[in-house]
Amino acid sequence: MPIQLILIILIILAVLRLLYQLKNKNISLGQFLIWLFIWSVAIIIISAPAITTYLATIVGIGRGVDLAIYISVIAIFYLLFKLLLRIEKIEKDITKIIRIEALKNISSDENK
Amino acid sequence: MKTLVLIPAYNEGAKISEVVTDVKAHGFDVLVVDDGSADQTVFLSRANGARVLAHKINRGQGAALKTGIEYAKCHNYELVVFFDADGQMQAKEIKNLIKPILNGSVEVVLGSRFLGATINMPLVKLLLLQLALIFTKITTGLRVTDTHNGFQAWTISALNKINLTQDRQAYASELLAEISEHQINHQEIPVTIVYTDYSRKKGQSIFNAFNILFNLLIKK
Repeated sequence: MPIQLILIILIILAVLRLLYQLKNKNISLGQFLIWLFIWSVAIIIISAPAITTYLATIVGIGRGVDLAIYISVIAIFYLLFKLLLRIEKIEKDITKIIRIEALKNISSDENK
Repeated sequence: MKTLVLIPAYNEGAKISEVVTDVKAHGFDVLVVDDGSADQTVFLSRANGARVLAHKINRGQGAALKTGIEYAKCHNYELVVFFDADGQMQAKEIKNLIKPILNGSVEVVLGSRFLGATINMPLVKLLLLQLALIFTKITTGLRVTDTHNGFQAWTISALNKINLTQDRQAYASELLAEISEHQINHQEIPVTIVYTDYSRKKGQSIFNAFNILFNLLIKK
């Protein structure tokens, strides 16, 4: 019981911080809603863990915890992949800038 | 045909003077693309008569090559020869390499150490390259004898057809994939690649093969 209370309080704090970020336009409405959804799911699962057991039996997995972990792992892999793609794009953008600089500078060097 | 010898270089201060001088002695325009070297590569290249493009930070051999290609396009070159800065290649073989292009029979010439000669090649490198051959055959359908040989000659028209996106070592595989995809007329020519203690130390680690595979996968 106490652990659930602590976790829920922490989550509420996280959501408040999220609202603050939204207010200051540090995140978009879309990002806010996604994270709000994630935290809401977390609150539901923490308050009523029996829900995960129910869902688990529907899909044929033993324990609710196992289901939660499987879903989390899939979500993490997906997010990781998106991150890698993002990094790739940033690397390519950096190269573009470096290339333009290099080509620009040689023009001025050759004219010296 | 107006020919440019393009030499991407990264921390090759020890060898670059020799390489640039050698290539220039055979009568070619030389462009060194310095990829963020920390040593005197830029200075030494210029001192020996090469034109120099300098990346402010290191972006990879593929990136350096692409920068050089952009230069060649802007300066109306018709033929570009890719040449390594570490002394593994022989400048005297350039004339032979570009012959098929000058004859008009192909647009791209690929140097092959397995048709030519290797000197002091490490066994592990040999095995890895053989594996790369199989990989290349499967992914591109190209029957080449040497997949990762940087000694190549390309016409500008062929370079205009392709799109190089790989900044680092995967560019070599990408070049072959582009040849295959755009059905570019190409040919292999024997070349000599000399391995020295210096070049082996500077060469790619065998584990870089995994990086290359990963980069090619992401692109798809």
